Amino acid sequence: MLLYEFEGKQLFKNCGINVPMSQLLESPKDQVSLVGDVIFKAQVLSGKRADAGGISKENNLFGKTINGEKVEKVLVEELVDIDKEYYLSFSYSTETRGPVMTFGKGGTGVEKGVTKTYQVDILKGFVSPKDFPSELIDVAEKLWQVFTKYDCELAEINPLAIVKRDPSTRSARSGQNYVVALDAKIILDDDSDFRREIKFPQRNLFGRASTESEIEARKIDEGDHRGTAGSVYWDLDGDIAVIAAGGGGSIVNMDALISLGGKPANYTEHSGNPPREKLKRLTKIVLQKPNLKGCWFVGGTANFTDIYETLMGFVEGLREVSPKPNYPIVIRRGGPNDKKAFEELKQIGEKEGFEFHIFGRETPMTSTAKTIVDLAYKEDKKIRG
Amino acid sequence: MAILVTDKTRVLVQGITGKEGSKVALQMRNYGTKVLAGVTPGKGGQEVQGIPVYNSIEEALKNHPTINTSFIAVPNFAAFGAMEEAISNKIPLINVLTEHIPIKDTAKAIALARGNGSQIGSGTRIVGPSSIGIISPGIGKVGSIGGDDPRGVYSKGSVGVISKSGGMASEVSWILTKKGIGQSTVVGIGGDILTGCTFADLLEDFEKDEQTKTVVIFGEIGGTYEEDAAEMIKNKKFTKKVVAFISGLFAESLPAGTKLGHAGAIVYGEKGSYKSKIKSLEAAGVIIAKTPDEIPSLV
Repeated sequence: MLLYEFEGKQLFKNCGINVPMSQLLESPKDQVSLVGDVIFKAQVLSGKRADAGGISKENNLFGKTINGEKVEKVLVEELVDIDKEYYLSFSYSTETRGPVMTFGKGGTGVEKGVTKTYQVDILKGFVSPKDFPSELIDVAEKLWQVFTKYDCELAEINPLAIVKRDPSTRSARSGQNYVVALDAKIILDDDSDFRREIKFPQRNLFGRASTESEIEARKIDEGDHRGTAGSVYWDLDGDIAVIAAGGGGSIVNMDALISLGGKPANYTEHSGNPPREKLKRLTKIVLQKPNLKGCWFVGGTANFTDIYETLMGFVEGLREVSPKPNYPIVIRRGGPNDKKAFEELKQIGEKEGFEFHIFGRETPMTSTAKTIVDLAYKEDKKIRG
Repeated sequence: MAILVTDKTRVLVQGITGKEGSKVALQMRNYGTKVLAGVTPGKGGQEVQGIPVYNSIEEALKNHPTINTSFIAVPNFAAFGAMEEAISNKIPLINVLTEHIPIKDTAKAIALARGNGSQIGSGTRIVGPSSIGIISPGIGKVGSIGGDDPRGVYSKGSVGVISKSGGMASEVSWILTKKGIGQSTVVGIGGDILTGCTFADLLEDFEKDEQTKTVVIFGEIGGTYEEDAAEMIKNKKFTKKVVAFISGLFAESLPAGTKLGHAGAIVYGEKGSYKSKIKSLEAAGVIIAKTPDEIPSLV
């Protein structure tokens, strides 16, 4: 999970990294109590905030939209006189398969600039490389502490500034430099949530608050470790509801759907043999959207997910959707108990009046993307002639 | 001959008294794999499906010195401890089914297995975390790959399969089997950011394996494992035919950093993008399948 700047800076402070004097404004009515020159910084999750007008010396930025994200909190900071700027971060590298430190001169725009990456031995912890500036060793050690203590995927300071005034007392002493983190970008490892002392509220990278469906879907797996369903669920703008199986297969199928002009109403996946109750809840959430033109229940040939259980969960959810879905429902699945599931589905479809189109493992998985697109948009084509 | 899982494979199950552990132990045995023992601390002396349970690996090894593979199915908070125990007991191969292991724990286990920072690592290989398992059709399997009955989907042959996705390992093998093309070994490396075995690591094994003539790679956006494999192929360290399928174009229409089904399938900027992977694989002479169903005609 990506943190807001003010949250990241709290973690920095906890580990002794200097940050400018600041105040968090949570409403346009909040008064600025900092004295002297200040800078207003919109608290948004998208990058390139400065280019999008999210940083200002005059205006408190409330009411603005930055890269599609409404500004709801503003961090006011004392303006500092910057002597030198650096980039410093710790992250995990798939090349070394362990942590790395990235360091470079410059501030914003550093992605294009020159940075150097150093391998860090996770068993020994951070040890300063020989060519690393001595005045930054202390802050690097503290950032390493943030990175490991809070189980981060990324802990980044950009820019990391050298200033002439003590950030807490504002006094300057000749010859004395201070190292201050002017920005904070932290990505927490979600898989470590269970052991992290500090909890942060859920957020959404789409630059909008989580939808009701997204919040509901995430609850399905809470406290129930039997398989997964709904932990990953995003509402999208389209009209074909998707219930996809498998972390990998679901993406293959989304690729296929989109390449044929299908517009998915959501993305979600279930895997690891979830019980039927989970599928029932997920189905109700996925299909409660208005104006759907079709539903695609799709997955590969499962290793151990019980297809009968998951499809019966789907049917149980389907029966509770109102109004009753009268759009085409294309099902493609394979795996344990698939034949038994298909036989029963066929009967249910005929008896209860659902437009099921059922495909087993003989039919290529991605070829059913065309089936759902053709069926769902059949009426549109007729109208266009 | 196949890779990783051979007729010499002797398996220990860590977490054998748990639901997944006991289920998979039985599956492996039913497929002809020799499962010698299980470990669950505090439950030594019991039996699961007739398999003896010990309190520690040390104890299990004392009674079954031929154990050379450990299958780990413990909860995520206990996974590092389990991997550490297997590594310090010098088990040559460990397969980790557990999902949602903290990335720091995986990084520590990988470092321990490599042996940096201490003496205990002795070249233990970790396949996983979040791995569906390893199957050498007709010989045996480690992990939940193929479920109760792998026979319908997996068949013996000369195509090696490496997949980040467990479901796609199965789907790709089924597509091949349906066309009469068998597999030498199918490996699910898991979709986490950090994995114990990468495409490149396993290509090294497949290069040496006489049974394997062609390798199919199922990759997806995020990370650099596909690019690393391409580099290796380009440098002629792998000389057999490679067919690759890469998924994740859809994800690139979403905001950077959006979480999908696999932790590793996450893109920030150019790095790990669909384009970057296809470009480097094509430059290395790898054949790209546009849909999974094209794969049989390309191998």
